[in-house]
Amino acid sequence: MLFAANLGKRFGKRWIFRNVSFEAGRGEALVVVGHNGVGKSTLLKCLVGLMSPSEGRVTFPGEDARSAIGYASVEQSLYGHLTAREHLGLFARMRGCPARDDELADKVGLREALDRFVGEFSTGMKGRLRIALAVQPEPSLLVLDEPGAGLDEAGRDVVQKVCEEQRARGVLVVATNDPLERRFGDLELELAG
Amino acid sequence: MAISNSNWRAEVGAVFEKEWLVERRARTGWITAGLFGFVAVVAVALAGFGIKLTGSLSAGLLWVVWLFAATVALPRAFVAEEELGTANLLRLSARAHSVYWGKALFNLVQMSAIGLLIAVAYIGLVGAEMRDPALFLISVLGGLAALTGTVTFCSVLVAQAAFRGALVGAIALPMLLPLAALGVSSLRVALGNGFPEAGWQAAVGLVGYATLTFASGPYLFAAVWKS
Repeated sequence: MLFAANLGKRFGKRWIFRNVSFEAGRGEALVVVGHNGVGKSTLLKCLVGLMSPSEGRVTFPGEDARSAIGYASVEQSLYGHLTAREHLGLFARMRGCPARDDELADKVGLREALDRFVGEFSTGMKGRLRIALAVQPEPSLLVLDEPGAGLDEAGRDVVQKVCEEQRARGVLVVATNDPLERRFGDLELELAG
Repeated sequence: MAISNSNWRAEVGAVFEKEWLVERRARTGWITAGLFGFVAVVAVALAGFGIKLTGSLSAGLLWVVWLFAATVALPRAFVAEEELGTANLLRLSARAHSVYWGKALFNLVQMSAIGLLIAVAYIGLVGAEMRDPALFLISVLGGLAALTGTVTFCSVLVAQAAFRGALVGAIALPMLLPLAALGVSSLRVALGNGFPEAGWQAAVGLVGYATLTFASGPYLFAAVWKS
């Protein structure tokens, strides 16, 4: 169960959001919507621990956040001098999970590009690799920030499949304003500035 | 859940290997520090052509070259992650101590290789007299380790700051000055000036300085790594 109570985040004196509370259990998907700059990405960073909330708290039971939480964001850069296979291999060793590089490459449609340097990847291919890295440890909480951004139709099908698998495995949180991606959720949280 | 030592070693190994692969392909540190070191040593050799440099002057000049090579090459391991936007991927995948040790070990290997090459070129081209090879070796290895530990320690702080260029000098200066004094004191004896006892005392100080910076680095890093 993902549980957020009275979450608030401010930068300086400006509150980005306040009094955000929700809970989502296994098999549920929460979609966070709201116009640009309202704090969707900031909220997601608070959920995965990349930012500390200014008030309130987030709880998610997990033995080890490295393997319990998967996160993919369009803001997340990758290493241009490493191949996709090296990304999957090295980060699997850091998280203590199997690399499953061939399996994940098939899942996100990167099989032919697995041994190419990420610096040569298109925006969409990088998005697919971010998703592969996020689902690699088979996390019980998957958090996706604008997962369809920069993806073609086949890439969006990948996102849909990944989201369906995650709902069967644990909790899914997606921040988006895309009407198609809003369908993934059975809970919706609208942030208003 | 407690994570076993084998997992910790795997994490550190993966971070080290990532640094190694990226540097082997980008060669940013090697090119900048190596080029600077080579040019500096050649310039000193040309300026001192036909002049016999004293041990003190030789030691001081070698430390100047090392200091600049280190400050050019080593901070990249931490600063580049923040500048290129890859730090969050590491934050979510590895614990802070593992990230620190993987990067610090890589810095140690890199600086040892660059520093030794600079020292060999310096001795060969400048022609400094070697009075105590054992002390010279300890001074070089201890000095390079202490220099790596100190610059790595400073770069951890600098990487989190908004105005990195201005901060690196301000933070590094009070830590590098005593280190340079110890390093020169030790090396000058190995190269023919001063009393052996003083040289060995300074060499022990260098090893202690290296131990201190590497031992405290992970705690500092853990405090600043998470937002």
